[in-house]
Amino acid sequence: MPVEFKDYYKVLGVPRNASEEDIKKAFRKLARQYHPDVAKDKKGAEEKFKEINEAYEVLGDPENRTKYDELGASWREDGSFRQAPGRQGRGRRPGGEESFEFHVDGTGFSDFFEQFFGRGGRFGGMNDFAPPHARSTEEEGFALRGADLESDILVTLEEALAGSVRTVSLQRVNRRTGEAKTQTLKVRIPPGVHEGQAIRVAGMGEDGVGGGASGDLYLRVRFAAHPEFRVRGADLYYALDLAPWEAVLGTKVVVPTLKDRVSVRIPPGTTQGRQLRVRGRGLPIDSSGRQGDLYVVVNIQVPPEPGEEERELWKQLSRVSPFNPRKT
Amino acid sequence: MKALQVFEPDARTVYSIEMVAHLAQVPRRLIVLYYKHGLVSPVRDPASSGWCFDEEAIRIVRRIEYLRSACNVNLAGIKLILGLTQEVERLRQELRFQQRR
Repeated sequence: MPVEFKDYYKVLGVPRNASEEDIKKAFRKLARQYHPDVAKDKKGAEEKFKEINEAYEVLGDPENRTKYDELGASWREDGSFRQAPGRQGRGRRPGGEESFEFHVDGTGFSDFFEQFFGRGGRFGGMNDFAPPHARSTEEEGFALRGADLESDILVTLEEALAGSVRTVSLQRVNRRTGEAKTQTLKVRIPPGVHEGQAIRVAGMGEDGVGGGASGDLYLRVRFAAHPEFRVRGADLYYALDLAPWEAVLGTKVVVPTLKDRVSVRIPPGTTQGRQLRVRGRGLPIDSSGRQGDLYVVVNIQVPPEPGEEERELWKQLSRVSPFNPRKT
Repeated sequence: MKALQVFEPDARTVYSIEMVAHLAQVPRRLIVLYYKHGLVSPVRDPASSGWCFDEEAIRIVRRIEYLRSACNVNLAGIKLILGLTQEVERLRQELRFQQRR
């Protein structure tokens, strides 16, 4: 089944030669606009949000972006290639007469993404956990468990905090007959899931051989990029822009958390890159109710075009201040 | 539309070694062997509270089985591969964190 080529540049509304910074800015702007928690048209925004995230997942990573650009150059209308593609799609197992092709839908990633940028392929066969078919003939009469299937699932940080129920559908296409069977199921994303965690959906993998049990479907959690926060373990990082005088004199600012907003005191003499910790405002660490922290990372900005009077004041300051950052 | 089956895996579910053996279709003694080689670990100290494993352990046992049977890797090789994939995963997450700055 040929997959449709996705124009990720169009999704983010940036030109092909956009800088990394432009891509980041475009993503943040769109992600704020379409974030399912803020948008009015929930259903439409959710679709759009997933699309933006997928595009950023590819274009925001220099390695993926290069690969994508090369892919675009060798892509044909029917979804095939002029050159052979680098690797097989995921969730597929080669060999055997009764071979099936699997498509998992509702995970937040398109077939196009799964095929070329999904993580499973990087493990080189690790997505293919069943013993090979050859073994079943050798050990005739043994019941073999069906293979497990793995797929990534896009989870927003809000979902990781509160949990959610997702509708996922699994389509099996018989390679020989072309017959397709679709199963739809609801999967609970438990609160406190972490990046890379695999949610096991029992019995939804490939059928077993000789009366063996079915394999399982593993949905591997992949956090959606958030417009405000970056994630490291259970901790969240928020970049706070400050004016130079705010950093020098200290101030009080209101910063967002995943749930609400908190007021943070910036102490006088705060330097660039300083991390201020807001305890317990991160993601759940485990099911015990403990939570990670929110780190506010200070990012000092300078006025881009100071006016006449402003410049005069800075000049005055430079004459008065004994501060020399390069003095050893 | 008919009611859909809801899968509610509980992150806290722990499995006995017999259950892991059943779910991963691996003899119990092999799981003990994997434990002795430091490939898979129970959630709590087996000496004080018995052998309890989590979901992740089942996944690891299956991974070990695949490496052993399909790739013909011995236990030392499996230990190395599992360690490396874990490290790659950690580095990939850190890279994503740094790139999104």
